[in-house]
Amino acid sequence: MISDGLEDEEKWLAAGVAGLQQNSFYMHRALDSNNLKDALKYSAQMLSELRTSRLSPQKYYELYMRAFDELRKLEMFFREENRRGCSVVELYELVQHAGNILPRSYLLCTVGSVYIKSKEAPAKDILKDLVEMCRGIQHPLRGLFLRSYLSQVSRDKLPDIGSEYEGDENTVMDAIEFVLQNFTEMNKLWVRMQHQGPTREKEKREKERSELRDLVGKNLHVLSQIEGVDLDIYRETVLPRVLEQVVNCKDELAQCYLMDCIIQVFPDEYHLQTLETLLGACPQLQGTVDIKTVLAGLMERLSNYAASSAEVLPQFFQVEAFAKLNNAIDKVIEAQDEMPVDAVVTLYSSLLKFTIHVHSDRLDYVDRILGACVKKLSGKGKLSDSKATKQIVALLSAPLEKYKDIDTVLKLSNYPHVMEYLDDVTNKEMANVIVQSIIKNKSCISTADKVESLFGLIKGLINNLDSKLLEELDEEDFQEEQNYVARLIQMLHNDNPEEMFKMICTIKNHILTGGTKRLPFTVPPLIFNSLQLVRQLQSQDENATEDEAPVTPKKIFQMLNQTIEALISVPVPELALWLYLQCAEAANDCDLEPVAYEFFTQAYILYEEEVTDSKAQVTAIHLIIGTLQRMHVFGIENRDTLTHKATGYSAKLLKKPDQCRAVYACSHLFWVDDHDIKDGERVMLCLKRALRIANAAQQMANAARGSSGSVILFIEILNKYLYFYEKGLSQITLASVQSLIELITNEMQNENSASDPAAEAFFASTLRYIQFQKNKGGAVGEKYEPIKV
Amino acid sequence: MASRRRMLLKVIILGDSGVGKTSLMNQYVNRKFSNQYKATIGADFLTKEVQIDDRLFTLQIWDTAGQERFQSLGVAFYRGADCCVLVYDVNVQKSFENLNNWREEFLIQASPSDPENFPFVVLGNKIDVDGGNSRVVSEKKAKAWCASKGNIPYFETSAKEGFNVEAAFECIAKNALKNEPEEDIYLPDTIDVGGGQQQRSTGCEC
Ligand SMILES: Nc1nc2c(ncn2[C@@H]2O[C@H](COP(=O)(O)OP(=O)(O)OP(=O)(O)O)[C@@H](O)[C@H]2O)c(=O)[nH]1
Ligand SMILES: [Mg+2]
Repeated sequence: MISDGLEDEEKWLAAGVAGLQQNSFYMHRALDSNNLKDALKYSAQMLSELRTSRLSPQKYYELYMRAFDELRKLEMFFREENRRGCSVVELYELVQHAGNILPRSYLLCTVGSVYIKSKEAPAKDILKDLVEMCRGIQHPLRGLFLRSYLSQVSRDKLPDIGSEYEGDENTVMDAIEFVLQNFTEMNKLWVRMQHQGPTREKEKREKERSELRDLVGKNLHVLSQIEGVDLDIYRETVLPRVLEQVVNCKDELAQCYLMDCIIQVFPDEYHLQTLETLLGACPQLQGTVDIKTVLAGLMERLSNYAASSAEVLPQFFQVEAFAKLNNAIDKVIEAQDEMPVDAVVTLYSSLLKFTIHVHSDRLDYVDRILGACVKKLSGKGKLSDSKATKQIVALLSAPLEKYKDIDTVLKLSNYPHVMEYLDDVTNKEMANVIVQSIIKNKSCISTADKVESLFGLIKGLINNLDSKLLEELDEEDFQEEQNYVARLIQMLHNDNPEEMFKMICTIKNHILTGGTKRLPFTVPPLIFNSLQLVRQLQSQDENATEDEAPVTPKKIFQMLNQTIEALISVPVPELALWLYLQCAEAANDCDLEPVAYEFFTQAYILYEEEVTDSKAQVTAIHLIIGTLQRMHVFGIENRDTLTHKATGYSAKLLKKPDQCRAVYACSHLFWVDDHDIKDGERVMLCLKRALRIANAAQQMANAARGSSGSVILFIEILNKYLYFYEKGLSQITLASVQSLIELITNEMQNENSASDPAAEAFFASTLRYIQFQKNKGGAVGEKYEPIKV
Repeated sequence: MASRRRMLLKVIILGDSGVGKTSLMNQYVNRKFSNQYKATIGADFLTKEVQIDDRLFTLQIWDTAGQERFQSLGVAFYRGADCCVLVYDVNVQKSFENLNNWREEFLIQASPSDPENFPFVVLGNKIDVDGGNSRVVSEKKAKAWCASKGNIPYFETSAKEGFNVEAAFECIAKNALKNEPEEDIYLPDTIDVGGGQQQRSTGCEC
């Protein structure tokens, strides 16, 4: 049905266009031969095509535009005629003879435009005549287009200030009067349209009416462009007359649209100075009118104006714009009891934006608006309406965007209450927005109280335990979000150790409730914050009496111990182990041997009981060895225990090459120049053991694959030999080095062994190193000299 | 001489809301500027007589609403345009990015016979704002875009200070004149082709 209708319409339009073209062709011929009579005849016939009532507004507009273009040529002709001495008055008379009223009216407007230009009669009289004459067309669609034609051709001929048509008895008031009258008549036609035709076509009609709205609204645009409509005239004449029409037409569509137009086409200054009148019209509109959109539009416009320059702000204060708007909104909300939540929030959110732009220092206003919002929402539970939710997010985001400072936002007591009404997902999104804003603006949060409020605000990210929600979450999104939280934790800082410690404890309390999925993200930054504090304390007052101080490294370490423990249940033993070692190192720097030992013990327990994956074990053991090597706080006994264990773990790794490497790495535990640890015997034990393992590894490879394995382990061990040989370890003899080199050389030449370019290169560079040391001369050179390569 | 049609050059100004379309037109036609923002509703034109190579033309300049909700009737007025002016605000990135949409929308709706060569002119307006300090679209970037769309002429303007407005519209008028009009020449059945054209070409009154 509908598609048929559209096709038919195309046909009708095509027919209209064809008729129009045909007549315009003859019109042109007549124009070219200066035949006025024929020109009028054919132009009238051409314009008759506009009498159709079969076209929808948009199609009619297409036809109209074609006629419009042709009429411009006719107008030029009239002007030429006039210049050639043909009286425009006569022309004006002449066109009245056109038979049908619609073509006649178009022709009259066209000649009228030339008439005004000729100045043979006062503009205002001609305009008045024309606007009256248009009353003859009462068919809404045709009438609207005819009047918009009149409006267009008279557009540059209004006697407004500075225009060439102004003066004598023609004043700007005449121009205004003309436009207002045309506007009023057009609005009446437009409103009346809904009552024409069968009720079953109401929907279609409303759509068509909606398409036509700009023809009516354009009059307001013309009014706003009239030179000389100053504030007084606007306040006394234009606005009241327009509003009168808007209110009295009692039509929802017209009222909605025209209010929007008034707000958009007239300047901000005027709105401010006539706020009461404009707002006063709102309650008089039909109950179905979407006032929230109208008011929101007004406030948005005024907000932009306020944001444009600080110079305009006094205007706002002078007219008490906030109070007026607040008042109007309260009234609207009060009057419309059934107003949907999203509408209420939209209103508050626009008012809030307005307020932060105009009264950026009045946090109390902002909080008051949030409070009013809470009051309206209370008892409703979490919102499920997505429109309302979106509006709340807008409401809450506005202060963040404006103040760019979480401190200010934390002062808004009602802010967290509003957040409560968001569903869990949105609540979390909002928390995200807050975190991002803090990171982006590098906001400084520096007291435990603020941390407490902040974490309360973003609890959706910190400790929402709704496991269903967590499961549904996209893994990547979750990681991203938690990485932001981690960055946020790192940003929390205060130079005062006492306060910083309080902050750390507050953070800890919150994040420990975060559940196993979040802990791996949130614990590490907390540990590093704490260790940073430890270092700060240590550098600040080395000689402060420990027990009196409110924060001491010891206390911090106790807290850390508990915190890391939480990770074990996750379980992420590797991460916990690494953090224990970090703590041990910090304790080492504070000379706290028992504490360091305790951390090591924890790390070892984890290693023994939790780290089961062989790859993870390799990584862990190297971490342990590396850290242990740097420890200087341990006495002989503790040190012995720990190194003994470490070598034990090393020798028990699953894969032989891993074993070998870990064991030779252990050799460094017994020879640390800086800490005066020099136990050559045990270095040697490690290296020899490593050699044995390397041998075994090779044999195993032989047995399993038929070819001997790589010699790379031997080359690695050779390098360790050289290292300690250079250090002067008496246990490492020239002969032992020499035989190792020979062993490797033989292996490499062995036909059975697979070629290994990496090993060859490594060996070559090792030999180059020996050569290099030889060439150095001196004590080192002497040592290397006897080595044969 | 040209037909009446050729004495009239039709120009359409397009661009986002607030970039200064109305202000540019008012500055050019009336030499007036207002700081106040008054939204345009629908489409509206002003005319101005221009002289190109000693010949007089009427420039019909159509100013349009940048706000979509004020363009309810469609864009039938694009028909028969001789030149399309695309305006953006050099201080607003989005308004520059939208030029492409405006251009494409125009080409679809107006469907000129030779879209490749249809004359456009691009204006980067409001260069006066904050002494140029708040500008976000560089001249280079704008020119690069214009070059990529078939060497569209580009002008930097200030409707407020009247800077470059005259020069821009002169270029607009000249380009409009270059555009070959698409007269859908209507020939009634009863008239033979030769006669019809004869009639047209001799009907000169100047
Ligand atoms: N500083 C400065 N302001 C300008 C300039 N051009 C326009 N404006 C201002 O920008 C605002 C918008 O200008 P308009 O000409 O109404 O914009 P528009 O493109 O017609 O907007 P719509 O009608 O909504 O599509 C007004 O406040 C003008 O005063 C300019 O060159 N410099
Ligand atoms: Mg405009």
